[in-house]
Amino acid sequence: MADTIQEIRKKKAIQNVLSPVIAILGGLILGAIIMLAVGTNPIYAYAQMFGKSFFTPYYLAQTLVRSAPIMLAGVAAAVAWRAGYINLGMQGQMCVGGLCATLVALYFPVKTPLTTVLCFIVGMAAGAIWALIPTFFDYKFNASLIITTLMLNYATNYITDYFVAYPIKDTAGDGMALQSPQIAEAMRFFRFSKKNAMNVSVFLAIAMVILVYFILKKTRFGYESKITGLNRNFASYGGIKSSKMMFMTMAFSGALCGFAACIEIFGARYRYVNAMFSSTSYAWTGLMAMLIAKYNPILTLVYSIFLAGLSIGGQALQRTVGLPMQISDIIQCCITLFVSVKIIIDFKHKQAPETLAAKGGKA
Amino acid sequence: MLIRMNNITKTYGPLVANDDVSLTLEKGEILAVVGENGAGKSTLMKILYGLERFDSGEILINDAKVDFRSPHDAIAHGIGMVQQHFMLFPPFTAAENIVYAHEPKNGLLFDRKKAVLRTEELSKRYGLQIDPNAKVADCPVGIQQRIEILKVLHQGVDIIIFDEPSAVLTPQEIDDLLQTIRDLKAAGKSIILITHKLAEVMAVADRVMVMRAGKVVKQMSCKDTSIDEMSYLMVGHEIQPREVEKVKSGSTCLSVENLVLSGIGSKKLLDGLSLHTDFGEIVGIAGVSGNGQSELIECITGLKHPDSGMISIAGTDITGKTTADIRKAGCACIPEDRYFSGSASEATLDENCIMGHYEKSELMRNGIFNTRNVRKFASEMMKAYDVRYTSETQEMHELSGGNAQKLIVAREMYQNSPLLIAAEPTRGIDIGAIDYIHGKLLDKRAKGDSILLISSELSEILELSDRIYVIFEGRIAGEFTRENASSEKIGLLMTGGKLNG
Repeated sequence: MADTIQEIRKKKAIQNVLSPVIAILGGLILGAIIMLAVGTNPIYAYAQMFGKSFFTPYYLAQTLVRSAPIMLAGVAAAVAWRAGYINLGMQGQMCVGGLCATLVALYFPVKTPLTTVLCFIVGMAAGAIWALIPTFFDYKFNASLIITTLMLNYATNYITDYFVAYPIKDTAGDGMALQSPQIAEAMRFFRFSKKNAMNVSVFLAIAMVILVYFILKKTRFGYESKITGLNRNFASYGGIKSSKMMFMTMAFSGALCGFAACIEIFGARYRYVNAMFSSTSYAWTGLMAMLIAKYNPILTLVYSIFLAGLSIGGQALQRTVGLPMQISDIIQCCITLFVSVKIIIDFKHKQAPETLAAKGGKA
Repeated sequence: MLIRMNNITKTYGPLVANDDVSLTLEKGEILAVVGENGAGKSTLMKILYGLERFDSGEILINDAKVDFRSPHDAIAHGIGMVQQHFMLFPPFTAAENIVYAHEPKNGLLFDRKKAVLRTEELSKRYGLQIDPNAKVADCPVGIQQRIEILKVLHQGVDIIIFDEPSAVLTPQEIDDLLQTIRDLKAAGKSIILITHKLAEVMAVADRVMVMRAGKVVKQMSCKDTSIDEMSYLMVGHEIQPREVEKVKSGSTCLSVENLVLSGIGSKKLLDGLSLHTDFGEIVGIAGVSGNGQSELIECITGLKHPDSGMISIAGTDITGKTTADIRKAGCACIPEDRYFSGSASEATLDENCIMGHYEKSELMRNGIFNTRNVRKFASEMMKAYDVRYTSETQEMHELSGGNAQKLIVAREMYQNSPLLIAAEPTRGIDIGAIDYIHGKLLDKRAKGDSILLISSELSEILELSDRIYVIFEGRIAGEFTRENASSEKIGLLMTGGKLNG
């Protein structure tokens, strides 16, 4: 009891800023050691990497476009995790959302920008429904959400990849690529320049993140889900129905994943491509961003851009310095490692809410 | 002397759980340690079993000073503990549980046959019949406890601590347990029995040590005492009742009829409990915790649904309704544990203040909060109840226990509901805050509202209540008016005794 409240708060604030920075620096340093081991100058490599991904227009555009689905997947995870529901099925929810939106885009007779809106609605609904399947199993049979959402990813990959391999496979050109036909030009997002990938999707993603931030901060749903996540006993004592919260939260999370997938399809790829959401690991990068950000949507956005820049920089590195782009994967893994260590430490510090009885409270 | 604990002091923050406590145990003796909840018995035993470290004092075993860093050390010195909450793995068999952590091995492998043999041998030697191959999940609670006892015996200990062993048992199972304790003594074991059921103390113990508020009140031989004396020592001296003005009570507010709620196994947590409260009345429920108080609150507030029985508030049937509906029907509740269910420690003060209130139109419109009004609402509430805080957006855990409790009391009082359930409204807070909260409860009564007061602090019940029920093993064991209540009579019923005449 030596510390005053002000001191505790100050310490906490410093810790909040410092700890993700330390995790990231730790990852970068470990990456530097590995680069040294293979005979590369890490300072030069890092300068190249970040110089490219953040300071040259072509790569910066790539970074931002890549960050859009990452930040949305991250925010989707944050929405669920913060309420205490561990959704690990973002990837599968993106696959289904993306596929369904593509199907509408390909087969809906009218092809206008308004159809794109319809595609987004369908994609979000599909993502939500896909998230509700494991939720239902948890509710009905007590099947752990962590496991079922994770496992469903693998099943989903195969289901969606089947579609682009057979029923909706693009037969134009040589017909070798496993992908759907392109969606009509009228339905694609506006690109600002022919020279780079920059398009509206980035702004839409940022707007969505801000909207989610508002929802979490200012609405009844945000309040109830926060309290549920912090202390489920308190929530139900106050009259919040936990089963309803679980379904709402997971549906919201899944819908955001569907939105993320649509952003990618209508802004960058214009078609559904085999393994487009698994090989790019948007979902996992987003998860990491939100973990570093401690569920804060705005910080998730910032870290998403950073992490996207890291992998775009890695690609640039391969082209210019001749270093394998896996270097950036290694760095990302090192950061993940440091972040997870931090999360485990945090978790050990608080665990379950302490009861008076556990403190030996006086009767 | 087998065990000698000298001048043990243990504090948790500002709370003194054990204050200069000394304890001795001789070989082949059964020592009972009795006291109300929070008197410090459990803390003392946790220290002896190596689960907690003490601040000052010393422990001697066979006159040699020891320093236990974990239960492992305690077991190595021959001290075992039968926990109140069984530490068993339900999917495993009795034998597997009993040998757990001290398994017989066949080379590197677990020797299941030897485990069963060992279990049968122990079971025969101490007369504790069990089926070694039965799954723990399929065993009734009484048998699970036997398994727990055998587990401790398998560790080869000579001193066994029983922590509230009868709390989860049916009366029949309790008889068996008491016989087991006698048999263990006959087999040369020394026993410390923590309990607040005084009839059990009289039935088996040689010596009794009474604790209150972290201190030892008296030690005596069981031959020289009586249940009456012990309960008097446990709950303390008669408290001068606060001058409470009589308010004319009105019609029935809360009515609970024949409530039944089953727990695990055959034990009923609530066993046909009936009570009622009138408007303008504070009704106290006295009892040792764990006799159905929590379950009663959970049933009334809709967190648990009773097997049978009926609950109504001001004539409206609320049985089986959701918590939200029951709150709307006019029931507010100060929960018994402010951190477990009364608040979210990492949420901000205003977020904690608006729980149960936030549907009001000035706080929220179309699902969106009016942040300024929320702040105003929270700060008004906290100021009215003298909560000392620095900002509405600071986190709950930054408040001291007393202030946190005042916030929760304020929040529930602000419901202006006809019925308030006040469970342990002053647990673990300082005298000033206690008096403040008591005053607020009496104000609410003066307004004509009805309060159900549940407290393990008998003095609090006696001071505030117009009428008192005593709860014991899920049933109402007696009812008193303010005039004819006394701590002796209530203490006797609380601990399972009977009133003569």
